[in-house]
Amino acid sequence: MSLLARIYAVPTLLIITTVSGVQAGDLSPTITVGTQEVGLTAGYLFGHRLTDLHTTKQHGPALMPSWMMTLTDPVGGGWYRGQVSLGAEMLYLEFQEPLVTHGIGFTPRIKYTFVALGRIRPYIEFAGGPFWTDLGGQIPEEANEFNFALTGGVGVSWFFTPRLAFNIGYRFHHISNAGTAFPNLGLNASLPFGGFSFYF
Amino acid sequence: MTKNMSRLLVLSLAGLVLCGTTGCSRWIDVKPSSAAQETMTYSLDKNERVPLVTNSFHLSRNGASQYPSADLERRILNSLQETNLFSTLLPLGEKSDSLGEKVISARIIVNETIEPHSWLSAFKGIVIGGSMFLLSPFINLEYGYAANVALELERWDGHVQRYEANSSGAVHYKLFGATPVMIEELKGHVTEACLTDLTSQLVRDTALYMASSAPLPDTGIRTVTVKAKRPGATQPTRSLVPVATATTP
Repeated sequence: MSLLARIYAVPTLLIITTVSGVQAGDLSPTITVGTQEVGLTAGYLFGHRLTDLHTTKQHGPALMPSWMMTLTDPVGGGWYRGQVSLGAEMLYLEFQEPLVTHGIGFTPRIKYTFVALGRIRPYIEFAGGPFWTDLGGQIPEEANEFNFALTGGVGVSWFFTPRLAFNIGYRFHHISNAGTAFPNLGLNASLPFGGFSFYF
Repeated sequence: MTKNMSRLLVLSLAGLVLCGTTGCSRWIDVKPSSAAQETMTYSLDKNERVPLVTNSFHLSRNGASQYPSADLERRILNSLQETNLFSTLLPLGEKSDSLGEKVISARIIVNETIEPHSWLSAFKGIVIGGSMFLLSPFINLEYGYAANVALELERWDGHVQRYEANSSGAVHYKLFGATPVMIEELKGHVTEACLTDLTSQLVRDTALYMASSAPLPDTGIRTVTVKAKRPGATQPTRSLVPVATATTP
């Protein structure tokens, strides 16, 4: 966990120094088509055994640096008014159980951000892509190392400044090999996370 | 084996360069293009120039009224200044008391129409994401903008002339070429095309805005001398009192 503490230390210091110099009236973010977002998110994976055949109770820290591009101006009206953005995310997982193993993946990611509340912006997101882990082949749920990671979740961004936001949220995580090898029961997990995003 | 590897490497590099160059591209189409129009100026004698005062400025976006932008107003006035038709240009809210009686009042109306193609962009985004960004060099995204700028000029004698210009454009871009600046660039090009057209129309009517083009209207105010008669030995005094009289049309 000291790794996570280090990861958060630098952005936290940045925020403290940046926020102190910003006027209250300047905080509403203006995110238009073409605005890019670079984010660093970290969380902890808690495994779920959804059937009797699942025996592995994996858990461990997760690190997810990401990049996104805003594709639309706000669409819709009322509470669901929001913007669509598309990007990609690197996914790194360190499994602590049943063996200390690692996983790394690359997932395109799409996000719908609700903009009606101003500085506080809830969002829903989906991501999925190839994922390699050396846990595969060592557990009964996954036969090989090459897999796919699929994730869907919700989160909230709180804009400290018009360009800097703190994010927290929850994702449901699924890893399986899409039937390329058997067995392919898949690994399922909850992933609460927190992180920062910078918009430019 | 080495030959095959080097071929593969060259092909991969060529693919990367192709994706890098085409995947980051963007271009802007504007109709009509401001470059195609001739910017006209007129050399007018200083004594013939009159001041122009902005009386009102209305801005609407997709039909909804907006708070008028001072930058846009300044840009319009700068374009009018470049025609050399007017001695001074005053923005909205500035006092025009000391400008004399021959003044032209301007009403500026700007209607913007934004067509961001949001749902289409979102759909294309899903397709690009689903292809692991491999299709990003081949899928164009689009953002449209159109403007209608109207200028109503009222001469000191009440003569009103209206000028209107339209322009529209779109920025076409690939996913990795998107930037917020491209929208500003598009708006800038479209606005410039409108203003070029507008000033061209205005310059054609130069004669209408020369100081000698029309006399001052009859204000209906006469100055008369009133002799005060007072009883007694006091000396009569003269005073000037403006008296309003009704004018006959």
